[in-house]
Amino acid sequence: MPKQQKSFMEVPLFIPRSKVSTEINKTGSWRFVSPMFEEKTAPCSAACPAGEDIGRIEMLTAQGLFKRAWEAILMENPFPSVCGRICFHPCENFCNRKEFDESIALHSLERFLGDIAIAEGLNQPLKNLPANGKKIAIAGAGPAGLSAAFFLTRLGYSCTIFEEKSEPGGILRWGIPSYRLPDDILKSEIKRILDSGVEIRCNTPVTKSFMEKEIGYYDAFFIGSGHSISIKMDVYGEDAASDGLKFLYNIRKGEITSINCTAAVIGGGNTAIDVSRSLIRLGANVILMYRRRRQDMPAFANEVEMALKEGVQLMELVSPIGLEKDGKNLLLTLQKMKIADTLSGGRPQVVPDSTKTETLRVGKIFAAVGAGPDKLWQIPCEDKDDNKILRLSHCIISIEKYPKIFAGDLTNHTKSAVDAIASGKQAAMALDILFNEGRDSIKERLSSCKVGDGPALSMEIYMNGKRKSRNSRIVYLKDINTDYFMPALRIIPLSLSPELCIKSFSQVEQTLTTDSAMKEASRCFNCGLCNNCDNCRLFCPEMAVISEDNNRRINFDYCKGCGICVVECPRSAMALKEE
Amino acid sequence: MKQVMEGSHAVSEAVRLARVQVISAYPITPQTHIVESLSEFYAEGSMDARFLCVESEHSALAALIGASSCGVRTFTATSSHGLALMHELLHWTAAARLPIVMAEVNRALGPGWNIWTDQTDSLSQRDTGWIQLYCEDGQEVLDTIFQAFRLAEMVNLPAMVVMDAFYLSHTYEPVDVPDQKRVDRFLPPIEPRIELDVENPCALSQLSPPTMFMELRHNIQIAMEHVPRCFKLVEDEFAALFNRRYGQMEPVHCDDAEIIMVVTGTAASTCREVISDLRSGGEKVGLLKIKMFRPFPKELIRKFLAPAQKVAVVDRNFSFGTSGIFAQEIKASLCNLDAHPFVFSYIAGLGGRDVTVDLLKEIYWKTKENLTPTDESIWMGLREID
Repeated sequence: MPKQQKSFMEVPLFIPRSKVSTEINKTGSWRFVSPMFEEKTAPCSAACPAGEDIGRIEMLTAQGLFKRAWEAILMENPFPSVCGRICFHPCENFCNRKEFDESIALHSLERFLGDIAIAEGLNQPLKNLPANGKKIAIAGAGPAGLSAAFFLTRLGYSCTIFEEKSEPGGILRWGIPSYRLPDDILKSEIKRILDSGVEIRCNTPVTKSFMEKEIGYYDAFFIGSGHSISIKMDVYGEDAASDGLKFLYNIRKGEITSINCTAAVIGGGNTAIDVSRSLIRLGANVILMYRRRRQDMPAFANEVEMALKEGVQLMELVSPIGLEKDGKNLLLTLQKMKIADTLSGGRPQVVPDSTKTETLRVGKIFAAVGAGPDKLWQIPCEDKDDNKILRLSHCIISIEKYPKIFAGDLTNHTKSAVDAIASGKQAAMALDILFNEGRDSIKERLSSCKVGDGPALSMEIYMNGKRKSRNSRIVYLKDINTDYFMPALRIIPLSLSPELCIKSFSQVEQTLTTDSAMKEASRCFNCGLCNNCDNCRLFCPEMAVISEDNNRRINFDYCKGCGICVVECPRSAMALKEE
Repeated sequence: MKQVMEGSHAVSEAVRLARVQVISAYPITPQTHIVESLSEFYAEGSMDARFLCVESEHSALAALIGASSCGVRTFTATSSHGLALMHELLHWTAAARLPIVMAEVNRALGPGWNIWTDQTDSLSQRDTGWIQLYCEDGQEVLDTIFQAFRLAEMVNLPAMVVMDAFYLSHTYEPVDVPDQKRVDRFLPPIEPRIELDVENPCALSQLSPPTMFMELRHNIQIAMEHVPRCFKLVEDEFAALFNRRYGQMEPVHCDDAEIIMVVTGTAASTCREVISDLRSGGEKVGLLKIKMFRPFPKELIRKFLAPAQKVAVVDRNFSFGTSGIFAQEIKASLCNLDAHPFVFSYIAGLGGRDVTVDLLKEIYWKTKENLTPTDESIWMGLREID
């Protein structure tokens, strides 16, 4: 193509143009507020009883750095695959994305990472501190005891677990049905904990005499024996009913393979739901009876929903009065209940609805109205709060000759696996502080390891990891610059239809594929965390954000405190402070 | 090849053929069809350009200021309130001497809310330093886009190609669309005189103290003074390739005319018919269609209008407190002559009201009947209101 004729170039062009560097103008002198890089706390991580660094885990997952993401879970929780399946994931309820479109499928991602590590046969990658010569005895190889052992071992303690049953796992092994948690997954995660240097003695119940004999060998005694004894319904003919917990145990032992009758399950907690869903799979026609209403059930709502989808019938506002044998069947008499008071905040009170009763003929009755501890364990009572007793959010320490620490379901308000894991971690930290700094430091030191403002604690913070520099302030949706995020639907893992579910004890949900896991993780806002998006640097009008190897700093010679970097940070990983 | 196309699409087609590299615009009636079809060209890949979506006209022009400072060919289009919103950056574009080309569709500003044609929007921007070229039909608007790029890039000033809302923007007419090769011959790639370069860094548009400012402004005026000469060169080349020429203004029967009617935009077409009717009735009437409003071609105005006895300026715009804007400018161009015609100022067709053959004839007869013009503009066809 021809060039434009040069003669046209005679038109004069005089414009302000300078080759002199503007560096001479130190615009930093105009500043009265300063930006700073300040990572904050994601609401999901504060809601997670184990305080997992969820925002960072999803950031790494989105980048395909699965091993590092998995390690980040292990830092706070030795059971990613287990919790990815059975945890009631309070994290998702607090997800900021929930108000934007839908919360992130955090439990699916946790399971994905855990399963990848199992599939690749990864060993426990975190380094333990050098052995400090102290020995801890742990009663019960449930989630609390295993968690305590894992974290105490990391802190340099030598742990021995005493387990009454033939295999470790506690409720995870014997109480939770395999359609929620298959054996091989649980075994892999427990094996990894034991391989990190924990001794376990199965078939070794901790009796009073055993304790008196053994305790002298140990520096502290951790009691995480759980709620293994079913509570009685206290009605006539009760002996004809089956014990729900024992029933689940027998299924896991392989002793029950089918039940073909109408079965009544009494209770509204997670055990009642597990029993009901197991019965459906064994061929029974199941009626679940609860003295309050569905919305008052202590069972996790999603489990209740699944049970109903699978065909469990729910009778609300009925309470058993008694049962009697009727040939091969049982006659169950129920008292109708009504709500007496809904004002008091918690679950409503129910009272008998006059004399209305009903009698049902069923094949079997399963009692699952709650569980309690074995009598052996004398948890310090509520009113006993002298200076020998220290009550923490998830455990109680009794400091006598030998420190005893009660944890797990014995002391947890929420009887969940993740709360048990959290209590094991809290106990490990508390014991370590007790030995190193003394009893008086425990509360304050634990408080400095809080994730956000709830009870969740971080072992990474306790061990002076990078997470320690985070501000514990929680990031809310209003702190997120949502202009940088597109609505995207939550990825739902493939799952069996309810019709197929009830045919076997196969897992209901499948693990996410790599692609869908990365896609789902990339929906995460990574609230409060820097993911090196570089917006701060790109938007800085003074080029005062300096980036070297993804470490950013602010050149205060030129930063004039305009705050654009803080506003343009999509995830609230910066803050503006008055000078 | 001749195609029947909408005036707006003639603009888009020209922009594609001009191989514009960066486009940024914000939709506004009656301009939307222009940017809409450009976004389609971009999406379907028939244009090798970057299309920047923005949230306002202010940002559209700001984005182009950045792009143009990097030495690429840029285009935007707007109308009415959109142009008003760009006002600050219109000044900036010219003072930064960036050859950005804009299609501006004349539309009234509210309130009363009105989407129809009215030149007050573009004429309100006459002091911003943009070249302004007013067009009569689809062919002229297509051709003028090519010319505007050549011209703007020669003198380093931005150029506005102005067209009437609906009468031109939404009217389908036959338009001869040249092939890419011939357009490339006429309009080679931009050879930027302002081009930010990371290898050779410099700062543009920095603080300019009183000791420098007047020179900067005077330099813009010098460039403006080069425009008529450059436009002639551009038109010569254009005519050689495409056999079409418009001129800064077009006189029709002005040589022996006693009364010359001055019109712009699509009203010129109507006026051509009026002149022909009146001429066949023996009236000595001429028509001067003004295309270039900035820079205002004073010399040609004097050349064509001075010999007449009376001039009737039909303004589709108004400057409140004085008169029609073209009338003002024409009076100013003539006032220093020893002898000059009387200039009559008429206001017609605001907010999309039709400027009909009868209305233009009425203007002619009014001019002929009155010996001298009134001080104030005459508003044509006003309805009685309570």
